[in-house]
Amino acid sequence: MSTEPIKSIKDLPLDENLFPGTPACAGCGGLLTLRHCLKMLGDKVVIVNAAGCFTLLSIYPFTPFKSSWLYTAMACAPAGAQGVRDALDILIEKGKLNPGDDLKVLVLTGDGAAYDMGLSSTSGAIYRNLDFYYICYDNEAYGNTGFQQSGATPFASRTKTTPIGKDFPKKDLFEIWNSHKPPYLATISPAYPVDLANKFKKAEQYKGPKLFISLTPCPPGWSTDPSHTFKLAKLAVDTGIWALKESVSGEVKHTFVPGKFKPVEEYLKEQGRFSHLFKPERKEETLGKIQEMVNEYWKQYGVLL
Amino acid sequence: MLKLRFHGRGGQGAKVASRITGTAAFLEGCHVQDFPLYGAERRGAPISAFTRISRGTIMERGVIPNPDITIVMDQTLLSDPQAEPLAGLKKNGVVFINTPDSPAQVKDEYNIDAQVVTLDITNIGLDMLGSPIISTLAGAVASRIVGIGEESLKNAVEKELSKIITDQKLIAKNIEAAIYCFRTLELLKIKTIQTTQRQDSVIRMPFEPAKISTPSINTTASSLLKRTGNWRLFKPFWDHDVCTKCMICVTRCPEGCISLNEQGFPVADYEHCKGCMICAEECPKKGIKAVRESGSDSVEVMGT
Repeated sequence: MSTEPIKSIKDLPLDENLFPGTPACAGCGGLLTLRHCLKMLGDKVVIVNAAGCFTLLSIYPFTPFKSSWLYTAMACAPAGAQGVRDALDILIEKGKLNPGDDLKVLVLTGDGAAYDMGLSSTSGAIYRNLDFYYICYDNEAYGNTGFQQSGATPFASRTKTTPIGKDFPKKDLFEIWNSHKPPYLATISPAYPVDLANKFKKAEQYKGPKLFISLTPCPPGWSTDPSHTFKLAKLAVDTGIWALKESVSGEVKHTFVPGKFKPVEEYLKEQGRFSHLFKPERKEETLGKIQEMVNEYWKQYGVLL
Repeated sequence: MLKLRFHGRGGQGAKVASRITGTAAFLEGCHVQDFPLYGAERRGAPISAFTRISRGTIMERGVIPNPDITIVMDQTLLSDPQAEPLAGLKKNGVVFINTPDSPAQVKDEYNIDAQVVTLDITNIGLDMLGSPIISTLAGAVASRIVGIGEESLKNAVEKELSKIITDQKLIAKNIEAAIYCFRTLELLKIKTIQTTQRQDSVIRMPFEPAKISTPSINTTASSLLKRTGNWRLFKPFWDHDVCTKCMICVTRCPEGCISLNEQGFPVADYEHCKGCMICAEECPKKGIKAVRESGSDSVEVMGT
């Protein structure tokens, strides 16, 4: 792959490594993210998949992938990745695998596994400097089992287990990972595929853990129209709720800052999981608090005064 | 005892339909059971739900392999090998099919040997509720076929929907639409022949070597064999006259279903397109229209 940054969507690779016929819901934001990630990673990949929605992508005898796929329990995908990486290294060392035929190891997890159950094994893998990619598709709840609260569920979001809205904020997984000072760490969005593609290009030059978190709209869970998936992913970035950033060895830099931030309300009012903030009457205090949380974040980096 | 099986797609409301029917029968003083069965699938994939209604105690448990009444909430399921909605339907049983076609047409097309009732409840849903979620409508249709009274149906819809939604106006609209479907259908006589099967209760599984018995997939992209195109209600239709080949629809399709033809214009893989309509929503030239699916041919063009 050339090291020149990609400038527009017309320069994105046309080859697909994720094929149609998946059982994912119509308009799945996670699937859109994965499709772009796999375009950049190519087909020489072993996907180590923690239990979650994407478990269902490969149900025997069907697979949408060009590459290999290994299924693990929710808590231990990074441990599975370590085994795969070690096996590949041993094969290369013994001369049974040509280094040119080496495979990339990719952990694929939802936010339930990444933010909660799989956090310790991920921390261990980063600490051991395991050479792997890690993609978390974050739909902000346990989407596969009926949308229950996870560590990634944002403040005020309604889920099956928080029927009146969650009363404390989302975990900052980026900061948790960043304190491990991995070689490369980024947040991505399916609505910014050029930014996403360039982050994978950049990550390629580092050996060690390369981590990505993507905020991905979930039409059934968020109670939104499947056709609004892209629009919502974009609104999340344009309102400042989802910051596109990267961190190289612990140093954080924003890769995209909206010229003018849209009010967070524009993002919230589109979604059934926040409808209780608008009906039967507007919850001004909660709406103000969400906006304030977003403003506080950007003030930290001197973007807002 | 009457046994009902509902077939729908995840998100259409088959589970709620079975609950409404069960609750309505309960309000009529019957003993009832209702429960759904989901596979490891998602919104849009085939699911089923079951209702048992009896004047006496129901001793039977588990899924219903031989229903008296089958409610098919999506016509495309009839030709879906995973769903098999007509499987096990009793002789002289009733099958309801959500379709604009007449019973005679459907009977002929799918070679059905049962009483067939049809009504385009998706269209009624779109007209009266503004959405293709047809749980209450299917519940109303089932209640009518079973022979439940209008008042019990009305109360059952209200009771079940109040647990799911808070919008009183929407609940009222649902009741109105349910009663409309209920009154549209004529009362039927159901006289099914009870068949009981005696089978060896011990299931014997062959013990295969690991190479055969482990589910390892030694192929790539076999998902292409799964046609998910029948999940959709609307399909995207391109107007190549206004298309600027900007690639936006190609980039934004989650399934990767849109490719370019020899002239560089986008074309969809309708075998797999689930009809999420992100492409139509995002097209800067508004050059993609949503066309309503109806069996094999498209009938109506919706403005975007």
